[in-house]
Amino acid sequence: MRLTATYEQRVATARLLHRFNFGPRPGQYADLLKRGLDATQTTVLEHGLADPGLDSVAAPNLPDLGQIPTSGTAAATAFWDAISQGNTELVMWWLDRMVVSHYPLAERMTWFWHGHWATAVSKVTYPLPMLKQNNTLRRYALANFKDMARVMVVDGALNYWLDNEENYISSPNENLARELMELMTLGVNKFTQDDVTAAARALTGYSVNLPTGAVAFDAQQHYADPLRVLGTRATLDAQSLALLIVSKDQNAKFITDRMWFRFVSGTTSPPPTLVSSFEHRNIFSLASALVHSSAWTDPANSLVKSPVEWFVGACRALRVRPSTLKANDIQWQLTQMGQLPFNPPNVGGWPYGQAWLSGVAFQYRFEVASQLVTSGDLSPLSVPKSKMVQACADWLGVPEWSRRTASALAAATADPAEMATVALLSPEYVVSA
Amino acid sequence: MNCEFDRRRFLQWTGAGAFAAVSAQLSLETLTSVASATPLPASTPILVVVTLYGGNDGLNTVVPYSDPTYQSIRSNIALSSSQLLPISDSLAFNSSMPQINTLYGQNKVAIVQGVSYPNPSLSHFSSMAIWQSASLSADTTSGWIGRWLDIQPHSPFNAIGIGSTLPPMMVGEKSVASMVDVGGIQLPWGSVATLLPRLGLSSSSDVPLEAAAATSVTDLYSTAKLLGPLLTKSPTGSFLNEQLSIVATLINANVPTRVWEVNLSSFDTHVGEQADQNALLAEVDAAVGAFMTSISAGSRSNDVTVMIYSEFGRRVMSNAGLGTDHGTAAPVFLIGNTVKGGLYGEQPPLESLDVNGNLQVTTDFRDVYGGLLHDVLATPVGDVIPSWSTALSVH
Repeated sequence: MRLTATYEQRVATARLLHRFNFGPRPGQYADLLKRGLDATQTTVLEHGLADPGLDSVAAPNLPDLGQIPTSGTAAATAFWDAISQGNTELVMWWLDRMVVSHYPLAERMTWFWHGHWATAVSKVTYPLPMLKQNNTLRRYALANFKDMARVMVVDGALNYWLDNEENYISSPNENLARELMELMTLGVNKFTQDDVTAAARALTGYSVNLPTGAVAFDAQQHYADPLRVLGTRATLDAQSLALLIVSKDQNAKFITDRMWFRFVSGTTSPPPTLVSSFEHRNIFSLASALVHSSAWTDPANSLVKSPVEWFVGACRALRVRPSTLKANDIQWQLTQMGQLPFNPPNVGGWPYGQAWLSGVAFQYRFEVASQLVTSGDLSPLSVPKSKMVQACADWLGVPEWSRRTASALAAATADPAEMATVALLSPEYVVSA
Repeated sequence: MNCEFDRRRFLQWTGAGAFAAVSAQLSLETLTSVASATPLPASTPILVVVTLYGGNDGLNTVVPYSDPTYQSIRSNIALSSSQLLPISDSLAFNSSMPQINTLYGQNKVAIVQGVSYPNPSLSHFSSMAIWQSASLSADTTSGWIGRWLDIQPHSPFNAIGIGSTLPPMMVGEKSVASMVDVGGIQLPWGSVATLLPRLGLSSSSDVPLEAAAATSVTDLYSTAKLLGPLLTKSPTGSFLNEQLSIVATLINANVPTRVWEVNLSSFDTHVGEQADQNALLAEVDAAVGAFMTSISAGSRSNDVTVMIYSEFGRRVMSNAGLGTDHGTAAPVFLIGNTVKGGLYGEQPPLESLDVNGNLQVTTDFRDVYGGLLHDVLATPVGDVIPSWSTALSVH
């Protein structure tokens, strides 16, 4: 595809909105096309401002549900009902936030970090520790990665998920130590088995109260002798271990690569200079450098929207608040598409790219789209029929329809709901090309 | 940690049980008429790949029970004699696997011992990438079945996975496998439905991912046309059983598919291993047993080979949490009515571990793939695994 100046701006603007802001709100794409790329870059980076959208979403009220009652009792029935209700509330609360936020960068980054520190309620069971972790990820989403790592390494849900409450001096459990270095801070093959063994010892002495996610430290159970990790010898606890690891240059390279992988492309590599923006581990600085990079006009940097990103984008465009939909339906469909928030398939987080492009995913995207067009606001398509196809592209933030999709849309001008359905399922909307 | 969020638990969790499809019996006429247009030619070999995600503990699956080190080095998780089904003086199946044990007694199970690759990675993700790509290089992005698809005449039916997200194994340079959901195929409905197949047309302006999205639409309609009528019966049983019962139904209906993929997660038993692993192995055993019964009763009885593998085995020494950390070599199972059952390769000795306390590798997994490519998929090994030529045949 030859990129004309106008087309190039349409591509870059669409990419920035879809990848950093969960897609445009109605009218936003056309508005930013008029205001230019600089304005778009500034807009998608806005955060920390009073947000009437987020203010309208009530925080979940999750009580301490206590230990699991003996099965078969009435207490057990009530307990599992409360777990189920709390988990549903948690998922719908977060989806609502993603959809209604006026400045979605913070939610989008929280979503990135959720996949990065991937912890699943399928094992953790309780919604409360998941909520606490989510709030931690949000608090540090655009702050300093050193602080995020220092707090996350003693996060209750993460410690339980990676078996750290079973990590003893006499018999270490390496799960948290290994994944902390491999998946969260350094990357594979950037440490040795000896580093894992030593790091596991630094992580001894922590226990989790699972119902609340509270983590306690018992110095008696902690390995107190000096340890050698990544070439440095020191007495270490979880937090000083995290800071030691994050201080390594490889950490800057790794986080830069991960951000590129999820926001820009799963197949191209970041320019070598990008890592300097993360020298001080300032996450906003890295996000800003990405937004201002030249990546957005390179045709190679296409990305498949994950199921949640696709769903949230569609809800933002159609002004549908997820909690107004049937929660069971939405959770079922997202699960069948392979991506329910708070339930990554494993500690590596979710797949990317072509993995999301199965016929089965199309089948479930149709189910979702047909619900959204029934309850959503289709007024952006209330234009003369001859202008509907272009209006649809401007509404959803699609740079240009292919001939294939344009012809299918042109056949749907009689019914805005049909046109919206076709558009939401089109390759141009499913992929951020 | 590889905690799988299974469908049963989801239904329980959200109270969404009403989604279960209404069961309907399939008549033999329906089966034969649907596959009659393009049936798989008689006697064509078929491969069913079962991936166990998380790293299955091989030493508690095929147990070197007579080696005293087995009891001493993992005393808190070692299986007792009542939990064993001996198959030789030195090895026994975990007693959670009675049906596979019976199949072994009928010489239908090949156990390839000590399987991994040089310098095994203890990372779930690196190791699974190596197994699924059949390459030790992190630069290889295609899967081994995907590369086999690349050299077949294009058809959405050549290889089918059960689920919604494509596993890396099934993605080639040019072709990808189709997926079928355990819930069956539900094509779009309503007046808009007539427009949607158009989204599967290719367009010169597509970037590769858009082209792949378009292809997936066409593949959904193709698979629905051929497979949809066969999948009206809602599968039951465990998650793996649901997947394998769909595969058995479709194989017995002669659909033109050479490779099937199913999977089960949660084998990452860092804590409380015995209870968890025994339950998982029992699920595998029940699902594979039912699958073989179903296949043996049909016309494809002698065509099917099942391969069961995991990304690695686990640490020989157990931890205080009654579990095991990441390890290396483990057995691979090859099951089928024409498989020459028995033990292949060498059991890695417990007395000679690597520096991390893990088993030595005695068989390269690419030899196992080589045998399957040669014997089942009738494809030269080097066409799928570049510069690899050796093969371990169990047929």
